[in-house]
Amino acid sequence: MTAGVLAALLLASACTSGGKPRSSGQATGSTAGPATPAAPLEVKLVATAKVPPGGPSAKRAAKQAAPGLERFVDRYLSAAFVDAAGGEAGWDGLLGLFDTPVRASARKQLNALSLGAAAPKVSAVRPSRASARAVVLYGGQRAEAATVRVAFDATADTAQGSGQVHLRSVLQLLATGDGWRIAGFDSRTGPPQ
Amino acid sequence: MRRALTWIAAFGLVAALAAGLVVATSPRRPATAQTGQAVTVQRAHAGSATPTVKRRIVLLTIGSDSGAPKFGRGGTMERGRADALQLVVLDTVKRRGAVLSFPRDSYVPIPGHGTNKINAAMAFGGPPLLVATFERLTGLSIDYYAVTSFDGLTDIVNKVGGVQVDVDMNLRDHFAGAFLDKGRRKLNGRQALAYARARKTLPGGDFDRSRHQGQVLLGGLGTFQGQVAKDPTQVMAWLAVLRDEVKTDLPFPELLRLALLATRVPPASIRNVPVPGTAGSAGGASVVRLTPGAYALFARVRAGKLG
Repeated sequence: MTAGVLAALLLASACTSGGKPRSSGQATGSTAGPATPAAPLEVKLVATAKVPPGGPSAKRAAKQAAPGLERFVDRYLSAAFVDAAGGEAGWDGLLGLFDTPVRASARKQLNALSLGAAAPKVSAVRPSRASARAVVLYGGQRAEAATVRVAFDATADTAQGSGQVHLRSVLQLLATGDGWRIAGFDSRTGPPQ
Repeated sequence: MRRALTWIAAFGLVAALAAGLVVATSPRRPATAQTGQAVTVQRAHAGSATPTVKRRIVLLTIGSDSGAPKFGRGGTMERGRADALQLVVLDTVKRRGAVLSFPRDSYVPIPGHGTNKINAAMAFGGPPLLVATFERLTGLSIDYYAVTSFDGLTDIVNKVGGVQVDVDMNLRDHFAGAFLDKGRRKLNGRQALAYARARKTLPGGDFDRSRHQGQVLLGGLGTFQGQVAKDPTQVMAWLAVLRDEVKTDLPFPELLRLALLATRVPPASIRNVPVPGTAGSAGGASVVRLTPGAYALFARVRAGKLG
């Protein structure tokens, strides 16, 4: 019986490890009707690393960089979709994730990076998939840059009904003193193709 | 028998618990809308951006004849003679530019060292003196330099899988080991180096050589763009190669921004311009004396006329 309990506990821990579940808050004040309870945003990120001679092993470097990148992608998707529902949060949080030389371009292309103009009519975003693959460049002992491919699928609720929203994005990231910033991007949103 | 039944019951309990946990923690299926209707929430949008950087970037790329153990070249590359000299001028707004290819034997004033071949400046005072020499010669403010060696160039080309270069003549140069036919060729590291070094058998000598060096540089840009278009993570692969093989005063954030910008500058919009000069001699050594056309070229570039 002890073995059974241990197995159950192991299974339970295995099922809940990985990304950090994050509640997708309900939008308020939107024109949409009452939404169904939101599913958590859970980013699954796989990283590989390119390391310099004399640096850490590629495996160790990837493992070291992955949690920070996962948190960054979580912040991005939260600001771009989950917390953007209702349109009241604004885009400053999202734009703050961009490196200054690319921020103005990002502001002009919010529709390709986020819910964009659709945000006010959406009452809630319920993620079904949030995955990312990263290639991290190390300089010495620390990460300096990364390319991250992000895939995000979700259901968005509106007063008229629910529909699918998608993001497929390549983010070129620069490591800064206080985390990652997006230095370049190639992104598309919209219904499945 | 009773013990077996106990185990079966325990297993069943664990399986049920596990099933319950899996169901509880699985991502929810997209729920049916309140109204039951599927709607288009967002139309398709696509967008991309690279960083905006300073309007004009001037980068001095240097090929050193030292610090290349694989070629039997000792010393450090920053204190060698600069045998490949390209001034890359990029208009980041119009996304066009020029590669000014300088003959290494250009006979020019070197600050604090009289007049000498331009390739001696780095041996006298490292990259900073070479930069100062170029700034005085051209009137252009140089933002950054990047220096590599024979080893560095061959390693870069090999690590990125070869570069596509438009070879502009049939080459049979035993001195440089260059044996290439005219046409678009994918060159490996040794071939790229040989193409960039061949001089003695070329009709234009040092002028042909400096033009070929510019072609290798632009071939690298085209190869970089082609690879990144297929796989954006190649930006990191190229930066890793440059990190290992090139010495530069470019801070890493600027290097990344320039690399991203470089993905959007068509190589065809960058002219490879050999700096005009005539063959001459000074103190018994053969040199190249820059002609008035060279100074007119510098003036046009200073005025932003890169086309």
